[in-house]
Formats: sequence, C-alpha cells, structure tokens
Amino acid sequence: MSEYNVVGKRIPKIDAAQKAMGRAEYIQDVKLPGMLYGKILYSKHAHARITRMDLSKALALSGVYTILTGEDVPEKMRMGFYKDNPPLKKDKVFSFRDEVAAVAAKTPEIAKKALELIEIDYEVLPGIFDPEKAMEKDSPLVHENTKSNVLKLPWKLHYGDVDKAEKEAAFVVEGRFTTTWVTHCCMGTSGAVASFDAADNLTIYTNTQIPSLAQKDFLEALKAMGLKNKRARVIKPIIGGGFGSKLDTYAYEHIAILLAHKCRKPVKIVFDRPEEFIATSTRQPTVTHIKQGCDKNGKLLFRDIRMVLDNGAHTSWGATTPSVMMMPITSLYRVDNVRYDAKCVYTNNTYSQAMRGYGNPQATFAIESNIDMLAEKAGIDPIEFRRINRNHPGDVTPQNFKITTCGLDLCLDAVEKELRKSGTKEKGVGIGVASLIHVGGGARIYKSDGCGVIIKMDDYGKASVFTGGTDMGQGLDNITAQIVAEELGLLVEDVHVVHTDTDVCPWDVGAHASRSTFVAGNAALGAAKKIKAQLLELGSKELKTTPDSLMLKDRLIFVPGDPEKSMAIDKLLRKIHFSPGGTMLVSDHFFDPINENMGPDYKGNMSMTYTFGVHGVKVRVDEETGKVEVLEYVAAHDVGQAINPLLLEGQVYGGVVMGLGYALSEEVMHVNGKNMNPNFRDYKLFTAKDAVKIIAPVIQTPDKDGPFGAKGIGEPGCVPTAPAIANAIYDAVGVRITTLPITPEKVLAALMEKKKNH
Amino acid sequence: MKPFNYLTPATVEEAVSLFGQHSETAKYIAGGTDVIVKLKDGWMEPDYLISLKKIEELSELRKNENTGDLTIGATVTHATLEKSIMIQKEYPIIYDAVSNIGSLQVRNVGTIGGNLMNAVPSADGAVPMIALDGVALIQGPGGERSVEVKDLFIEPYKTVLKPGEILKKITIPAPAPRTGSAYIKFGRRAAMELPLIGIGVLLSLDADLETCARARIVLGVAGPTPMRAYEAEKLLTGKKITEDLLRQAGEKAADESKVRDSVRGSAWHRKEMIRVQVRRMGLKCLEMIKRN
Repeated sequence: MSEYNVVGKRIPKIDAAQKAMGRAEYIQDVKLPGMLYGKILYSKHAHARITRMDLSKALALSGVYTILTGEDVPEKMRMGFYKDNPPLKKDKVFSFRDEVAAVAAKTPEIAKKALELIEIDYEVLPGIFDPEKAMEKDSPLVHENTKSNVLKLPWKLHYGDVDKAEKEAAFVVEGRFTTTWVTHCCMGTSGAVASFDAADNLTIYTNTQIPSLAQKDFLEALKAMGLKNKRARVIKPIIGGGFGSKLDTYAYEHIAILLAHKCRKPVKIVFDRPEEFIATSTRQPTVTHIKQGCDKNGKLLFRDIRMVLDNGAHTSWGATTPSVMMMPITSLYRVDNVRYDAKCVYTNNTYSQAMRGYGNPQATFAIESNIDMLAEKAGIDPIEFRRINRNHPGDVTPQNFKITTCGLDLCLDAVEKELRKSGTKEKGVGIGVASLIHVGGGARIYKSDGCGVIIKMDDYGKASVFTGGTDMGQGLDNITAQIVAEELGLLVEDVHVVHTDTDVCPWDVGAHASRSTFVAGNAALGAAKKIKAQLLELGSKELKTTPDSLMLKDRLIFVPGDPEKSMAIDKLLRKIHFSPGGTMLVSDHFFDPINENMGPDYKGNMSMTYTFGVHGVKVRVDEETGKVEVLEYVAAHDVGQAINPLLLEGQVYGGVVMGLGYALSEEVMHVNGKNMNPNFRDYKLFTAKDAVKIIAPVIQTPDKDGPFGAKGIGEPGCVPTAPAIANAIYDAVGVRITTLPITPEKVLAALMEKKKNH
Repeated sequence: MKPFNYLTPATVEEAVSLFGQHSETAKYIAGGTDVIVKLKDGWMEPDYLISLKKIEELSELRKNENTGDLTIGATVTHATLEKSIMIQKEYPIIYDAVSNIGSLQVRNVGTIGGNLMNAVPSADGAVPMIALDGVALIQGPGGERSVEVKDLFIEPYKTVLKPGEILKKITIPAPAPRTGSAYIKFGRRAAMELPLIGIGVLLSLDADLETCARARIVLGVAGPTPMRAYEAEKLLTGKKITEDLLRQAGEKAADESKVRDSVRGSAWHRKEMIRVQVRRMGLKCLEMIKRN
C-alpha cells in the first residue's frame, strides 16, 4: 500500500467531463464586445521580391477596417531566436509561409474576401530547398545580407579523443539517417485575441505554453510600437494541445496586436486547419552521419556525429535543438569519446520550432538504429549490448550530466520480459528495442528555470493555487492539485488551480522540457509546506499540543491516536480568520532547480535528474507490399514516482502514438517549399484505429529532488519509437530503413533491392 | 462558406423540378461528406442545395426474392450496407469496400450514391458496383435511363449524368452460384484514408469448382476513373484457376493500369500492389467459394 493519500492515485483529469461535453472554452470561443476578425495573407512564392502592392480594392470592401503590410511593422518588432523576423515581410519573401499582409474586418468572411482583393506582384527568385545543396558554394542565398546559407551557430563539441578511440575499436559501423518535417496536429488550432484599454495597456488571450516569456515578447512589441510603460496581460484560455508548438510568440499574435491598436478594437485571429498546417512550425528535418565503435566485448568506445539541419527561411528557437540533441549524443549509454558537429542551414522551406522531444527523437533515431548495427557487427544481442553500455546511478557523463536515479536496466528487463513472452519466431516478424534519455528535472535553457506558486486558503478549507505552470492538456492542474492536497491533508476537489492569467499568476519559464511536474510541482509543494507549517503552528495552539505531534489528513488536523485532539481544517481556518487580530493563510514559493546552463564547451548539468526509458516493439512486415504492422508495443519508463499513474500512462500512450506516426506515416510534404498536404486527409496522422495496444511498465525510482520523488515524463514517449520500429523491421526482414517515415514504399523498395543483390 | 438555401423535396420529380428552376446555381446533396467539404473549401458555391435525403424511394435496400436482383437506393448509407447481414454474406466485396470508408461518423451519413456521383478515382464504393455488373438508374428532366456503373465515369469529378439528373439506384443482378468477391483498400493508415490503390476481384466458377466462368478485376486510383482490367479478366475466363494464373492476371492488370506518381504514392509501388493484391484477392475469392 502506498504511503500517500492522494499522490500515486489514478485520478481522472479534473476538466475531462467539461471537455468531453464540449463545454470547455478554447481560444475559438473567446469573444469580446466590438471584436474584429483578422486574417493573414501569405506569400505566393517560396522566394521572391515584392514589386507592387495594391490594397485599394480590398480597402474599398465594406466591412474592412484596416490592412497592414510590412511597411506598417515598427522597425524593432521582430521575432525569433535572432530577433530578425518581422511579423509582416516587406520587399522580399523567403518562404511560402511568409506573411505579407493582414486584414481586420467586421466578419471572418469579409476579412477572407479582402485577402483575395489584395494585389501583389512578385519577381520570382531562385529558391533552394535542400539543406545539403544550400551549403554548396554556388547555391543561391536565402538572405542576401549573409555570405553563406550556413548559420553562424557553432554546435560543435569534442570530448575525449574520437579518432584515437576509432583506431582502437574492434568494430565500427556508420550510417546516414534522415528525418523529415512532421507537425504537432493540436486539436485546438492556434489563435489570439488582442485588446487595448483606453490607456493603451494590452490584454492578449492566446494559446501559449510560455505565458511569462510571451508577456516579455509582447512588452517588447509595445515598446517597439512606441507605447512606453504599458502593461501586457496574457490570458490563456483552455489550450487544445501544445506539444511545443506554442513555445514561442508568432506572427499572428504580433499582427493581432498591431491590428487591435490601429483599429482601437479587439482583434481575433484564429487559424483554420490548412493555415495551421502551413503557417505553424514543424519538427526539424535532419541529415545525420553517424559512426560508432566498440571493443571486442561490446563496450562502446566512441560516437561521432555530423548533422545538417534544415533551418528553413527564418531562424527560430528551432535552431537551438542541437543543444538538446547533445543530450542523447553525449549521454545515452556510457561513451567517453564523443564528437558532434551540427550545421543549421537556411533554405526557402518553412522554419521549424520546438516539438515534443526538441531534437531528441531525430538524434535518437540515428543513434539507436546505429547501435543495433554495431551490436550485430559485434555479434552481440541488441538488448544485451545496451545492458553492457547502460548508464548507472552516480555516473557523470562527458557533458557533465550528473545521473542521480537511473532505471535504464530495469526498463530493459521489463521490455525484454514482455517482448519474449510470445516466443516463436514466424517469417516476417521481428522485434526491436531503443532506449532514451531525457531531462527529467527541469532544463536550464534560460537564465532561470524557475516557477512560482501562490497558495491562498479560504474559510471553507479550500485552497486556491496560483501557479506559473501551464496546463495545455497534459494535466498539470491535476498534478498540482494532487501535490497540494497530499501535503495539506485535503481532497483533490478542495484544490482550485489557476494558471490562466499573468496578472495573478507568478512567473514561470514555460511548459517545456518535461519540466512541469518537477519544477511547477516542486514550487507547489514548497508553497504547500509553508501553509502546512502555519496550519500546524496555529492548530497546535487550538488543540493544545505541539506542532510536530499533529497530522493533516482527510480534511482534519489531529494528533494520531488521540480522538480528543482533532479538528476540521476548515473550522481551524475560520477560527484563525475570525478571531481578534485574525489572519488568513497565504504562502508563496519560487522553485528554481539546482541545474546548470551549458558552458562554452556545452558542459553543464542541464537537469537535476534524468528520465530514462526503453521501448520495445514486435512488428510483422508484409514482404510483398512493404506494409509494417505493429503487433506489440512495450514502453517502459523510469519516472521516479508516478504522481498520477493514469495521466502518466496517458502521456506514454500519446507519446508512443505520436512516435508511431513519426516512424511510419507522418510527413509534411513539401515540393519546392510548398506544403502539398495541409489537411488531415493527406497528412497521415495516426487515427484511433491505427493505435496499438501499448504496455507501459512504470519503473519507480523515487528521486530525492523530485516532488514526492517524481521525474518528468512529458516528452519521452515519442523519443525512441522510430528507431525501435526500424530495428524491428531489420530483425523481421533484414532491411535497414534510414529515412523517416518508414512507408510501405520504402520498405518494399529496400526488400526488392536486397533480393536483386542476392 | 457562402450562404445557401436548403431545399428538401419529397420526390425525385420534385427534386428534378426544383433543379430546373435554379439550374445554374443548384447542387444536389445526399450525405454531404463530399459536398460540404467542397462548400467549405470554396470549390462550389451554390445558392441552392437540393437535399435528396427526404426522398423515401432513394433509401431502399432490397433483394428481389424472385429475380435475385439487389436494389441499392442512392441514399443508402455506407453504414447501412456495412451492417446488413445480407450484404456481408452475399456481397462480401461491397462489405469490404464500404466498411473501410472514412470513419464510423462518415459512414453513418455518407451514401453509396454520393460516393459514385463524386466520381473520384479513389471512390471505394465504385469498385464493387462495377465488379458486380451494377446498373445505375438515372432520372432527369427527360425521364429515366439506365447506365452500367462501369460506364458512369468520364474523368475525375465528372460522370455521364446531365445537369438535373439524379442517380436513383443501382441494380445488381443475382450473382452466379459459386461466386466469391473481395476488395482491398491499400493505404497508409487504418481509417480516414483514401486508397493509394483499390483492388476488387470477383470470380465465379463452373460446377467443377476449377474453371473460371466469370472474372471481374476492378481497380481504383489506377487511372482517372475506376476501371476494369479487361485483359486480366480475359486471361482468367474459361481457364482453370491456379495461384500462378492469378499471378499472371495480377501482372496483366498492373500493365493495363494507368497508375501515376503523385505526392500520395508512386506509380511503381501502385503497380506492385496491383500485382500482389489481384492474386491475393483472387485466392480469397476461391477460398470463399470452397467454404460455401
């Protein structure tokens, strides 16, 4: 039996019923008095100069309030990692996704009609769409003010001596692996409503995973607009999925702000589905050259990786994904000699952004596919090979990651046990495994990795929790409520979590890096501890005992075993409040994990703890059609402590299905920079019918730094799925597929090639 | 979406007459799973939508016990066909095709007539109707006429129906004894999928349970319209059916097909699928016949 009352319980999501009944209010439902509707016009070319623009017909349309172009964007209003991307482009467009004009109108229909009436002439320029070709000397330049399409972002590390280790290695394998664009497919599309008050203070309703950082961006936008000393309030409606897509501020938000200010009316911009596919960011496509070697006993000696990333036309935070790729590259398994060199290259394609795993799935696809190749060459069973090289608690990896808890061995055991259960090998059937490491104790990407929480107790024994953390569907509200309820001896329904408004919620760096349970959870726990201390102190006076003899449980404060010394918590709260000189209990806590920013050599303990996992899969490959059928899926994760196993399993199931889509079917198809499948008919997101039964063993390794021992689990579910599938296909039919997605066409082509060569 | 008037006639005559009144700006609509999408995407902008859903005779699904003819009204939904025990038992190729269209929600409202009239090369519903020698009954301003389903399609989104004409029903003659039929939709995922290629095979055997009396090989997405692979059918008819012969028929059907490369899939793989699946569906038909 668990020692906890609320933690570790399978408590359904607090907002599940309202969502299922269609009552939850998303950005689509936000309506303000006098609100106008904004629409954005995108480029008709992948690379072109704008030679003429005529807005007159569009402006003459009844119901159109205003039209903005690149000319109307203040000089300093810029987006992206380099802060060089204006929300509306002037003179030149660099990709089909580039915003060239925006309309505010009385209705969405009028706004759409107005877009059709805007006349633009373009002088088409040669485009470049292949990052490897874009690196060649005579390649056209995406940005004329640069000397080369290769970004000056030196993602380069070398620990140990790779060349020496390669010479010493008994077995060496290499490979080239490529991944393509995939996208988040949030059920709730992107959108924002911007509104100014009479004094030019901004309120913006927006789907964001980073309310505090978004607020900072919007304050800068106001400043750029010449609005000094104004406030920016960010309100989040219920978010229909994030997966990283809402980890930055985007053109549509800035455009909504500009339109609202110009019209002096609230302006709403909401994406329709094709726009969501075309104008939001994807996962980064990568080309990876990898070489790994081991000694004759299978001990991994070195890992050498060169990578080219398609940066698209603009530099977003997506260009920093190599910083997270470094994690599996340096620290998945024990490997002393590591070299990594990644180049981000401008093309006239769409630009990418954060997506669940933030580079880890791409890197892990190459590493874990290649590990199987190495194991085969060394003549060692792939699971055994991973056991030989697994990480151990107490390890310090070459990147200076301090491994505290590590259940990788237990995950391998659990997966192997499940996979080997149904034994006999039939033709075309094979098994494959792949492991993962991910940050599980926050991730210090920004200067602060913190989160603040305020708790306010009322007269009825209820706690209001104001958290900086963001629930975008993953269930942080539940986790927060469970942690606070556990600590204060309350029930989950006694805790009301508020995370919607920067005017009332403290700062948080954002819902990213699988950090919310760990960081926002620890912040909530810290604040609850302060309330608890006050309750025990004041309760001890009421019950005439010492604070440390008291317990909080089931809405009561009591001395265990002494029925005389017991009192309802709400009664105690009222007593404290309504006595002369009374007080009310409020606490706050800011938790910033003890982790480190990367140094100039990329060394630094990025996270307070790391999450490990192993996925195992059994597939059947139809050798005549190339079709891959997933027969069994096991995903074991080392999670520290499950605060809510139901939600944890949900994260794993969702992650795995997302990973299966990545592995087998999903791709944003671009032809010369143009998105060819901006709809769910042709973007092959897995459906409920494609989902397979997933066994998700939860390996508990309570972590001393996690709230009640918990580690992060938001992203891992989709990290090692693709290599596990690729490895299983190889085991089944002997072909190694090195490009994602692994479509029947690719498998059949490889099988035919293999047959030809025999 | 442009606003429109929604009309709900009770008879075919009334529907045709309403169309006559608004001919330039009217469209018929049944389940709406294709029409609504086109309206939303702005592909069509009618002022009048004439619904066929209230016309009772169009929703008839009946087998004539005397002649053995099967009548499928144009507004019979995929779900109705899918759930019919008679369809499952006697027309497995129809079941195979309609039970994998879209999703449960789409099948609950989408109709077989709509699937045919949308006239896309990937129409799952067209393949079995052609394989079963279905005949379409059409009514318009000039009265009634019949067209074999295989001759309904001209090119993508275009049928032989003239403006104002309505597809009323499909009549399928009684299947010969010792008949098996099967369809496979080959796609990347298990639901909400258009076929990359659709393959339907129907075989009837002589009393010797070996000689092929009739063969139908029908392909979807193998050309601008759903098509029969006549040469492949000829190869089988009158011969003793073996796996090897079915393999040859697959080769022939692949040669006859007019598959092409698209972003959805490449021509060579589609051909390969025809080769493989004609044989597999043929074998499935033989198994079915033997089982019965």
